[in-house]
Amino acid sequence: MGEAQAFDLLVDASLDNLQEVRSFIDRAGANLGVIEPVLGDLKLAVDEVVTNVVLHGYGNAGGDVELHVRADGNDVVISILDRAGRFDPGEVQALRLDKPLQDRPAGGMGIFLIRQMTDLAEYLPRPGGGNEIRLLKRDAIDSAGRLAG
Amino acid sequence: MTTFNILVGHAQGKVPVTVLRIEGDIDAATHKTLQDKAAEVIEAGSKDILLDLGGVKYMGSAGFRALHAISNMLHKDGEPGMMKSTHLKLLNPTDAVARVIKTLGFDVYLDIYEDKDAAVNSF
Repeated sequence: MGEAQAFDLLVDASLDNLQEVRSFIDRAGANLGVIEPVLGDLKLAVDEVVTNVVLHGYGNAGGDVELHVRADGNDVVISILDRAGRFDPGEVQALRLDKPLQDRPAGGMGIFLIRQMTDLAEYLPRPGGGNEIRLLKRDAIDSAGRLAG
Repeated sequence: MTTFNILVGHAQGKVPVTVLRIEGDIDAATHKTLQDKAAEVIEAGSKDILLDLGGVKYMGSAGFRALHAISNMLHKDGEPGMMKSTHLKLLNPTDAVARVIKTLGFDVYLDIYEDKDAAVNSF
């Protein structure tokens, strides 16, 4: 107990790596003692952030994406870092849930999901260029289910 | 790389229904395959589509954009005032996918069934 556990992944910014990113969150979350449905929430939020990095940050031209997952007490903090041009997802138009499906603009759902699935989603410009999105999920870790060691 | 398959089937209820059974995660890498397959069957004459989501463990916003696009393709005439899609319905979403459907409010616009015969006969 008390030993900080952290998990890191470095992948190329490609849509083909989204499944690997989700598997990484599955493994890191399981090791930290995050259980469903919270694990599913985190996977969704991270997938949406990385998709934005791939498509909007790097313009689908590739680049590095770093993921860091760590526990902070019973909270989980996930950072997604890139070296793409400045891209603040908070500036994307939000989803309108009050509109019928046929009348909704197609975008905005990813950002909406990131906000819904986390307690805090912060945008931080990275020193030296690039972006960091830091996701916080409170009480994500079930202490009783946490793996020993 | 994501494993992703779509099996096209046909079922006869009150009207002929095309059943698309999806196997794999629907994310930004795979959603276009689903959208293209739906466009293909609609082009070939399908007017009513049942999406069998029993083999989908993960669906992100890209998957919902595909559902949105498929619904729009099936409701070309607009059908003003209509809230629920009468031509696109969902079958057997997994718990994880059902949660996201609710979060995004898609259950307000798309009927969800657990029984295939009931789903087919609802069109």
